[in-house]
Amino acid sequence: MATIQKQVRMVFDLNKCIGCHTCSMACKTMWTDRNDGLMYMYWNNVETRPGKGYPKGFEDAASGAGFPDGNPYLTSDAMKKVLTDNPLRPIVSHYGAAWEYNYSEVLKVEGGNASSQMLVPSPEPNGPDAYASNWDEDVGREQMPNNYYFYVPRICNHCTKPGCVAACPRKAAYKREEDGVVLIDQDRCRGYRYCVKGCPYKKSYYNPREKISQKCIFCYPRLEDPKGFPTGRHSFCFTQCTGRIRYAGFFQPASATSDNFEAEHRDLLSGARSLSEFNARFNVNRLLYEYKVALRLRPEFGTQPNLFYVPPLSPPKLSSSGSVSSEQRVPIGLLAELFGDYAGQSYSERIARVGEIFEKIEDARAGRNPGLLRILIARTEQDRLQLDLGFAA
Amino acid sequence: MKRREFLKFATVAAGAVAAKDALAFDYLAPVGDPLGHYPYRGWEDLYRALWSFDWFGRTSHSVNCTGSCTWRGFVKNGILFKEEQFADYPEIESNLPPEQRKLPVYNPRGCQKGANHKEYVYGPQRVKYPLVRVGARGQGFFRKATWDEALGLVASKVVSAIDTPWSGGSHSPDAVTFFAAIPAKHHITLSGGFRLANLIGGVVCSFYDWYCDLPPGEPMTWGVQTDSCESADWFNSKYILIMGANLMETRIPDSHYFVEARYRGAKIVMVAPEYSPTSIHADLFVPIKPGTDGALCLGMANVIVGEGRFDRAYVKQFTDLPMLVRTDNGKILREADFVGPTPGLAPDADPRMRKVYLWNTAGEVPGPVIAPGSLGIPHNDPRWTLDLARFGIDPALEGSFTVTLQGGKEVTVTTVFELMKEKLAAYSPAAVSGITGIDASLVADMAREFAAAKPARIIEGAGTNHYFHNDLINRAQILLVALTGNVGTPGGGFDHYVGQEKLWAEHGFFELSFPLGRPKQRFQNTTLWTYAHADVKSDIDSILPRPLMSYIRESVANGWMPLWPKGTLDNGRDPKVLFVWGANYLNQAKGYQDVEGKLWPKLDLIVDLNFRMDSTAMYADVVLPAGSHFEKFDLSTTDLHTYVHPFTPIINLLHQSKSDWQIWRELAGALQQTGFKFTDPVPDGSTVTRDFSTLQSQFDTHHSRILGTTWDVSDDRNTCQFLLSASPETDRFNIAGPHRFANVGEMSSVPGDSIIKHPQRFPRTSEEWTSDIKEGVAYYGFQRMTEHKRPLLTLAGRQQFYLDHDWILYDFKEQLPVHKGPVDIDQYPLRWITPHGRWSIHSTWRDAKFQLRLQRGRPIVYLSPNEARARGLLDNDYVTIFNNHGRVDAHLCITPRLPDGLAMMYHGWERYTLNDGWQSPTNIRIKPTQLVGKYAQLNFRLNYWGPTGNQKDTRVDIRFKRRESSVSSAAASSAV
Repeated sequence: MATIQKQVRMVFDLNKCIGCHTCSMACKTMWTDRNDGLMYMYWNNVETRPGKGYPKGFEDAASGAGFPDGNPYLTSDAMKKVLTDNPLRPIVSHYGAAWEYNYSEVLKVEGGNASSQMLVPSPEPNGPDAYASNWDEDVGREQMPNNYYFYVPRICNHCTKPGCVAACPRKAAYKREEDGVVLIDQDRCRGYRYCVKGCPYKKSYYNPREKISQKCIFCYPRLEDPKGFPTGRHSFCFTQCTGRIRYAGFFQPASATSDNFEAEHRDLLSGARSLSEFNARFNVNRLLYEYKVALRLRPEFGTQPNLFYVPPLSPPKLSSSGSVSSEQRVPIGLLAELFGDYAGQSYSERIARVGEIFEKIEDARAGRNPGLLRILIARTEQDRLQLDLGFAA
Repeated sequence: MKRREFLKFATVAAGAVAAKDALAFDYLAPVGDPLGHYPYRGWEDLYRALWSFDWFGRTSHSVNCTGSCTWRGFVKNGILFKEEQFADYPEIESNLPPEQRKLPVYNPRGCQKGANHKEYVYGPQRVKYPLVRVGARGQGFFRKATWDEALGLVASKVVSAIDTPWSGGSHSPDAVTFFAAIPAKHHITLSGGFRLANLIGGVVCSFYDWYCDLPPGEPMTWGVQTDSCESADWFNSKYILIMGANLMETRIPDSHYFVEARYRGAKIVMVAPEYSPTSIHADLFVPIKPGTDGALCLGMANVIVGEGRFDRAYVKQFTDLPMLVRTDNGKILREADFVGPTPGLAPDADPRMRKVYLWNTAGEVPGPVIAPGSLGIPHNDPRWTLDLARFGIDPALEGSFTVTLQGGKEVTVTTVFELMKEKLAAYSPAAVSGITGIDASLVADMAREFAAAKPARIIEGAGTNHYFHNDLINRAQILLVALTGNVGTPGGGFDHYVGQEKLWAEHGFFELSFPLGRPKQRFQNTTLWTYAHADVKSDIDSILPRPLMSYIRESVANGWMPLWPKGTLDNGRDPKVLFVWGANYLNQAKGYQDVEGKLWPKLDLIVDLNFRMDSTAMYADVVLPAGSHFEKFDLSTTDLHTYVHPFTPIINLLHQSKSDWQIWRELAGALQQTGFKFTDPVPDGSTVTRDFSTLQSQFDTHHSRILGTTWDVSDDRNTCQFLLSASPETDRFNIAGPHRFANVGEMSSVPGDSIIKHPQRFPRTSEEWTSDIKEGVAYYGFQRMTEHKRPLLTLAGRQQFYLDHDWILYDFKEQLPVHKGPVDIDQYPLRWITPHGRWSIHSTWRDAKFQLRLQRGRPIVYLSPNEARARGLLDNDYVTIFNNHGRVDAHLCITPRLPDGLAMMYHGWERYTLNDGWQSPTNIRIKPTQLVGKYAQLNFRLNYWGPTGNQKDTRVDIRFKRRESSVSSAAASSAV
């Protein structure tokens, strides 16, 4: 088995995410505004949680998706399970239509007579079941004054065991050996959409115009050639992240096979192994293994995502009289449903981990962990955008 | 190549590759290991080819957002296809070695709207040619015209409007009105219209007060327009009380500083009626009844004063709390009380009316002493200082004293602090809990925490500033930060962020805009102008001591507020011509029904300069195509940071558009062709001969009093250079060098002091501002007061909480900050709020499909689950929002982020995205205390002092209109 020489790794700090969607627009305006088959896709999206996600309910039927141990491609039985358990989700009702508008009827910018005085989307998002990628923005859960919501931005996790790769019957999806970026070969793909089903995070998309599947490419043309710009190796969703929540770096596995990523992850987390000189260069790895404050989204899917999240603090609940309680309003159990370290971690372990992370963050805020605080604040862009360090001698 | 063709080309290219390989796939080549060695990677060039460009350049976005973000645009085949933050603001602390720096960087300033300005550059909204209306206004019927024809038409209408005699004069230049917003967002774009107005005698309208962004409490208390810290200073705070500000949505490029301050240990307390996005990153969310924030501040002040937690030394030196007030009439004790007024001087010009007193306890005999720093003390007098110790003054903060006035009358005087304590007694935590709905013990705890945490600051937004009683709310907020000694210290203060008023490089801007001088210019507060000319009917007379119109007449008659055309109230004169540029006046107007229905028909000519067809353009007579933000030279600044950076023409002007500056120039040329000439008596009492036959050279040639030289301002770039050179903030910089770069290396040929090289931080500030700029220090307000003991330009010379203008003192009893709740004149159950949101900057991007697709695709209104249930409404129902002012329809979003009793619609929806104006349910309500003038610090000045266009006191109801059937199964069936 070949080697991933160094794997791109990401941490998104949800305490810094302001829900501005600049990341989504940064990606959209570079890669997915080029034909109408791409328009509905958000390789990068931002979800309000609790919420239905993008596409709607993507987590609900993820069983069977992922990457069974020891087999890079699904066996036919496993493939059948992916097919049956993971129905394709219609674009309009689950991803949201890329609405078009009757501009030319309303705005006579070259002269002429308007035939309508009102701009309307087409198709109209009608009815109580209408949906789009950000339909339930800022809605959340529970009742005022103790309601809550927060934001989760998502891109392709560039998983160590990618579900899309496992599912592709044409073997058109792969991980690049030099950086672990997961790509779909646009020549080889025939649009069977097994990757769409196989990715439990639904970060592979079908382009109905081009009749092939497409996904986040981690802006690899930039990763390869920064063109002289100081942070030019980084994906647009990273360099344009106005909230400064995104950290990028590399993780270099100690051994030759990618299977060891997960074992290594556990070793490092437990302190059974220390970071190599190369891995210690990167704040992503220090957040993960030195300070242990970042978790995977839905690690139980088993694909070993390389995108990690710092879970969000939230303001305390208020009593019925309006006095301040000691309980934060986003239930820790909800966060533990979403976030954990690895696939086999129990729910109670996940709850404990989220609690531990919050303690670490409060410690840092109180001045008792200046090293962690420095990374969380990330004073300069070089503190969070560190792919260049992976190319240094 | 046009963008659409370019995209088509890109698609075809991708398709061609696929087609070729479709044949190649007769045989499917084998893949061994997909996790490390994939053998067929040649296809990857596909995306590499997309990420290539011919050149890039620097620009910004001139929208009223306060962002002032520097961006680069990438161009291929002449099409600007991608925008990215330049992210090269130099560090404030660049004077320090890196390991000693603490402030996070400003990079990468930007937002999702700025990331897609290209949609407007190439989209269907872009105005391509001069257009002349052929149907009814707003109907959207236009014909294409040539520039000569369009400008000739405008020029002849302008001349005929001016050349109209009336009973008080032979000409009517004051019927020609110019409305534009936010010079800081595009200095010369805005200046062009002002310059033409100044040369032809037209009226220049305000925006900051009309938009209700002016915090009236600042001119009242501090004698300033607004002087907030740059956002980097948020990082220095230990306690941030956010009131009615939604930083995460409305200050997207800056909000990382409050999140980072929180990490650094600051406590973030969010006070708002609704659980806004900013609340999610707070340490405490305090739900408050709408419009009662002033009461909360007064309650906190009550605790702080009552428990002795205020900064005694600070308030003695830097506030009017020790100032003496007569108890017989409530008036501030003045020098004129002892020696009589200066003979022959009007009260508002008499220094003896501008010297106030402290009770000095440090003298041999305690007694009254003129407060050093009083407004009536000349600036070259050593007593023009707040350094009390230098004059051996230790003022009494408490007590009552007897003084003998001229003529031997003895009166009792007391301190403002004593009077304040009496007022604050009404705001016990329990009483405030009843007003605000906040737990009483929480009010007290917040007060103690706020007083203990230094530095502490209040960040205020439109959520408090857009209320009728915004002046009172502001004054209560400022009281809280002044009592705790937080004004004039890094990380502390009252910092207001609504609107983009701060034009750092004012000197150059004002001289360029008003070449004949500001005293000769007709200026107009737009709230009053709109109220008068839209024939708005006051609906608040029942809560006023006398009818609003009586206050307006008195204010105008006294010369407190101007109202153009002259004689409007007596002679019924109407404005005849309206120019709008860099703004969307009609769409955003409060009292929309009256503005469209009654003001619009009075206008003979409405001209809109615009790159896109917005609602004002749609309702205009002539639309002139302006260049986009990618196609011109201009300058950008904001109060949120201390840098200047440029717009440059990364691409050439598209279609027949011209830069705004050039349009104004050419209009000057068209007016010159009329050869019109008249004599014009102007506001300063002099007379100006307006000779249009030389108007082009009057416009193009600038005789600078500041620089003592003559500048050719016919060229945009040269005009930018003049503005930079004539202002102390920017006079060390230029706009020189190349501006299109094939690669990063080419940027090295840009001079180091050029703003094209990178944003340049101001090295200093003019006297307009309350603080110096220091290397290594984020700008914060009132440093000159605390550090240099420089007085403020208020009557008291210090932070002034006691105002004794007759209207304020006697009619409204607001001499000190008090709480007055929202004006609930509308008898409807729901408070109607229309806050700024993340998806638009006012109306801009409201019609942009890439933004709409990330929302619900069309205008929505929010209600709580209870309110929706009570009305039998389901999510996404089509509903009507209505009251007795107007109605508008939208789709419903049900969310628990709202409390019961509140309906919310993010503002700015274009008229043509709705069935009526989004401001239809609002009315224009002028608070008379904001019509006062000729009172020390309260004098009309454009965008500095004048009545605000508040609208948050509006109430509405919502009813079901239609439940549309779900998305058709046919449309839904196109599965991926």
